[in-house]
Amino acid sequence: MRIAFLFFVLAAAIYYAFIAFVDLPFLTRSGRLGPGFFPRIVGTTMVVFAIWVLVDALREVRKSEIDESSWGDVVKLMLLGVGYAVLLRLFGGFVASVIYLGVSLLAINPGRHLQNTILSVTIPAAIFLLFDRLLNANMPPAMFELPF
Amino acid sequence: MDIFSNLFMGLSLAITPINMMYLLAGAMVGMIVGVIPGFGPSAGLAILLPITFGMDPVPAIMMLAAIYYGAMYGGTITSILLNTPGESATVASTFDGFPLAKNGRAGPALVMQAVASFVGGTVGVILITILAPMFAQVSRSFGPPEYFLLAVMGLLTLIVMIGDHWKLGVISALIGLALGTVGVDLETGQGRYTFGSAELIGGIYFIPIAIGLFGLGELFYAFYQGLHKTGTGGIIKYDEEKEFWPSKMDFVSTRMTMVRHSILGFVVGVIPGAGATIASLMAYSTERSLSKNKDNFGKGEMAGLVAPETANNAASSGAMIPLLTLGIPGSASTAVLLAAFLMWGLRPGPLFMEQNPELAWGLIASMYLGNVALLAISIFAIPLFVQLIKVPYRLLGPAIVVVCALGTFSVNASFVETYLMFAAGIIGFFMRLYGFSPAALVLALVLGPLAEEALRQTMTISRGSFGIFLERPASLWIIGVTFVLVALLPLMGRFSNRADAAKKAGT
Repeated sequence: MRIAFLFFVLAAAIYYAFIAFVDLPFLTRSGRLGPGFFPRIVGTTMVVFAIWVLVDALREVRKSEIDESSWGDVVKLMLLGVGYAVLLRLFGGFVASVIYLGVSLLAINPGRHLQNTILSVTIPAAIFLLFDRLLNANMPPAMFELPF
Repeated sequence: MDIFSNLFMGLSLAITPINMMYLLAGAMVGMIVGVIPGFGPSAGLAILLPITFGMDPVPAIMMLAAIYYGAMYGGTITSILLNTPGESATVASTFDGFPLAKNGRAGPALVMQAVASFVGGTVGVILITILAPMFAQVSRSFGPPEYFLLAVMGLLTLIVMIGDHWKLGVISALIGLALGTVGVDLETGQGRYTFGSAELIGGIYFIPIAIGLFGLGELFYAFYQGLHKTGTGGIIKYDEEKEFWPSKMDFVSTRMTMVRHSILGFVVGVIPGAGATIASLMAYSTERSLSKNKDNFGKGEMAGLVAPETANNAASSGAMIPLLTLGIPGSASTAVLLAAFLMWGLRPGPLFMEQNPELAWGLIASMYLGNVALLAISIFAIPLFVQLIKVPYRLLGPAIVVVCALGTFSVNASFVETYLMFAAGIIGFFMRLYGFSPAALVLALVLGPLAEEALRQTMTISRGSFGIFLERPASLWIIGVTFVLVALLPLMGRFSNRADAAKKAGT
């Protein structure tokens, strides 16, 4: 997993450096430093260091010290987070938060239905009151209004 | 004399009912965030920053500063009662804090950590009051070459402090610098890495990245560590009436400890990249070396708790100096504070205190009041925080995700930024897992555009010659200080690691 993440970083660095060299000029027409100057330095250095770290990591490939059992809940929480981001766009801040909290508490805190239900409603309600009413801040609008 | 009149003016601004209310709310919320394991001042500030958007700049900055040092106060409670530090700066507080609690002195330990934090924080603010105008005076001679070098110094010192994983620290900083180049190049008007998206023309906004990395990233990491599965059964219970107050001896025996480590902590805090963690570990190690009761360290010595607590709070104050006088944040927390200043159109730097005296001195004055408020809150609200520790992580986790998402959206009403925050959270988790430095990324994201602009201006002034850095006395000074720091900081790190080693050896 670590190697895969380092490959991802290297790929991103190469892509960043590629655009810096291909699309962004090093100097402006008047001979001043152009928009590509800084990205080229950053991109090249990043590629060099990413390769260096990757080579180090490949050399010392050892048995993962990761406790596999811990991954389940993290992945669950991440996927729920991504789902929440989609729900926000569809149903707006309040409703999406109620749905998200209901589902995630059901997954992470199973068996305590009353507690989960109360929290799923009260937390979004409190945040809605704080942001929307008290602070007059933006809350995500709904693309589809629910019929209830 | 100027200092006193300015401070008096700041106090008159800070002591209004509404400002005091925000100050107290910030201190309280900061402490609550500090109590949550894994969530330090950076996470607290990033997550709660959007709440301050609807406010005027003065109460908002006062509230954010209160969250900042409130989180420093709060982080120790779990160190003492659960042997679980709230964040890295309170690791050293577990060394003697938890043994004190196990020995039936949880109450005195909790009160003494609050007193030590108060002394460290207050001495730090006194030093800010005296030194900030002097720093600002000196930095007025700085031009683009010096600003570029300062930005480089900030990043280099942070990377050097990472130690064995410095290469990963460099990559983290480079990712931050790369993200900082996204958007329209202000000099030529050419788009960079915008991929045709209108949302990216203005660049990648700092707040979603900071909330994602520090808020969600830390949360995912806490779940990975299994914190949501562990209960708080190991929490030390104590009698709030009989075993609460420290003895006179506790105060007398640690009075010089507080003085020593207030100054040490402040000095370490001023150094960009060093910060509260190094300050607290150094303080513990130094105090142990100086103590006549060396053998009691690690077994419940009050000085072993007081030293790191004083130092980490003084360091938090020290970190405000480069922020206020140079506009250069030295840590992830002050980088978030800088972002807050910029949002209100305020640019900290040499002229900041002169051009915005109300805000600058209001902030400094509020820090005096905040420390007093936190001392009272820390002592009298301890039972409340003990109850908070008992709230299971599995309930807190989803609620934190909701606050992060809605908080991010509220900044610019942008779904793209909300998605960016979730992406930063996932990447932040992997960075944390594999030894990268989210703090270096965030610091580089803030310093990157500043460094690039300063470098390009420098090259224009010098007509492309890097020799300009060696021609200006101020630049030479900064280069010299950078070399000294890069050479000394690893030694400081090793010195402070001895505290860890001594603890592990059980001496």
